[in-house]
Amino acid sequence: MVQSKKQKYLFLAFCLLPTFILFLVFTVYPMVNGLYLSFFEWSGSSAVKDFIGLDNYKKLFNDSVIPKTIFNDYFFVFTKVIGIMLLALFFAVALTQLRIKEAPFYRVVFFFPNIMSIVVIGILWQFIFDPDIGIINGLLTSIGLESWTRPWLGSMEWALPSLVLPAIWAGIGLFMLLLMGGIMNVSKSLYESAEIDGASEWQQFWKITVPLIWPQIKTSIIYIVITSLNGSFVLVQVMTNGGPGNATEVMGSYLYEKAFEDFQFGYGAAIGVLILVVSLVTVLILQFILKREKVEH
Amino acid sequence: MFSFVRFLSKIAIRIPLLLWSVVVIYPILWMAIGSFRTNAEIYASPWSLPETFNIENFFLAWTDFNIGTAFLNSMTVTVVGTFLCLVLAIPTSYALEKLRFKGSDILFNTYISSMMIPAVLGWIPLFFLLMRMNLLDNLLALSLVYAISQVPFTIFILTSFMGNVPRELEEAAAIDGMSPYGVLLKIVTPLVKSGIITASILNAVSFWNEYFMALILIQTDSKNTLGVQMDLLATNAQYSSAWGVLFAGLTIAVVPVIIFYALFQRHITKGMTEGAVKG
Repeated sequence: MVQSKKQKYLFLAFCLLPTFILFLVFTVYPMVNGLYLSFFEWSGSSAVKDFIGLDNYKKLFNDSVIPKTIFNDYFFVFTKVIGIMLLALFFAVALTQLRIKEAPFYRVVFFFPNIMSIVVIGILWQFIFDPDIGIINGLLTSIGLESWTRPWLGSMEWALPSLVLPAIWAGIGLFMLLLMGGIMNVSKSLYESAEIDGASEWQQFWKITVPLIWPQIKTSIIYIVITSLNGSFVLVQVMTNGGPGNATEVMGSYLYEKAFEDFQFGYGAAIGVLILVVSLVTVLILQFILKREKVEH
Repeated sequence: MFSFVRFLSKIAIRIPLLLWSVVVIYPILWMAIGSFRTNAEIYASPWSLPETFNIENFFLAWTDFNIGTAFLNSMTVTVVGTFLCLVLAIPTSYALEKLRFKGSDILFNTYISSMMIPAVLGWIPLFFLLMRMNLLDNLLALSLVYAISQVPFTIFILTSFMGNVPRELEEAAAIDGMSPYGVLLKIVTPLVKSGIITASILNAVSFWNEYFMALILIQTDSKNTLGVQMDLLATNAQYSSAWGVLFAGLTIAVVPVIIFYALFQRHITKGMTEGAVKG
């Protein structure tokens, strides 16, 4: 290309600078400032922020709600990873390997909740769990299990497990598609030769499918963990607001409560840092656990 | 005998698939039917069909409960946000993928790794930043924030598509005297249309459904987006028991998503299975 150096740099700047400046202002600065704010006590209204060093973090360690929120976050992580991966893997195998004519129908239906608003999903499931007009209690009553009916979201023991169901409901489709993509890339000849060698379908699944789509399985698990730790509070906020008591409080919803309802912005920022640390540590540990010899095709 | 076993196993494998289809479809259908029912009917039985299909709930939701305004607000932030995101991400993706310069890898990795950091951490400072800039409670500012939040993801998708654009085309256009700006706009951009559509579909869906940033950054009721307004309506309904209206509001929020999905379903699922994440 015939152009002067100056023109080239001008074009490069045109391409990169506006976006990068906006990215610095609206993404990088808030995150760095979030770290910075966590060393201050600040109600948001006054111009003065009091530097209090590590006091917010001391408070964090002594706050009896914090362990509860971390436990609840991990409860979501574990139940979601297990629930979503089992179902998504089963559906992915069924829809790619078992020659089901109406497979596209299931694929379209199962993915749909992924593009529904989490608010709509939350409100809808509030009704499904509603003690008087909800589907679940209605179903239990109609099959004669009236004693099992309960106010699901209002119960100390049942509120947290109840929230897992909509989270799985909303999440499966995406991971099913990711895994289907992996399975469709596995060469057919591998299955054919396995069949000739007399391997059962179950053996084929464990010996061929799982090792060869391990990258997709790993990506899916890590993605579920990250999005759960960073985002499951939206469902909590909509469905139970953290209650009853603190039964369903997670780190994110606690941050919102402390910062935007109690106006303890410094403490809220410290909870934000906690979320960052917990998710980074978890992902690092996961990378280690999920490491597995790469299988060559 | 063999074919009978095969037949049975074909049925067996469909049972979980059918069950999950019911679990997905039934609540949505229940919500849609509920929006035509009166409160009395809703209380009488969770299963009953409405005696007459009255559409009054929809009018109430749309006007009295401001779902109409919220609907338009959500449309605005979705369209503006999706467009802005492309304007910001296309030139950067082009420069990162095609113009290779010192530091291009570092810049690319900076964008990508920012996706790992929980957005929650930045929300408190973002709130005060917008307050100082006098941009709180402003739908266009919200669109800008949305757009920037999806820029890294969009760059991630677009750079992988830019890699497939043959260099000869750019060079030929440059020899014909086209400026680099022209090459980017008229040659490269049309060639990555498929990537632009994939990224925009996912961006639009996430903007349409976004809830928390809108909750924090918007303060006047008349500027609420659908998510926030729905949540408000749901809280209201706890006291007023206007369940039918709430169901109607939910249905109004979901219908555009269903239409959108029907139009782009092939593209979405294809993009996901073949797409960016290869592990």
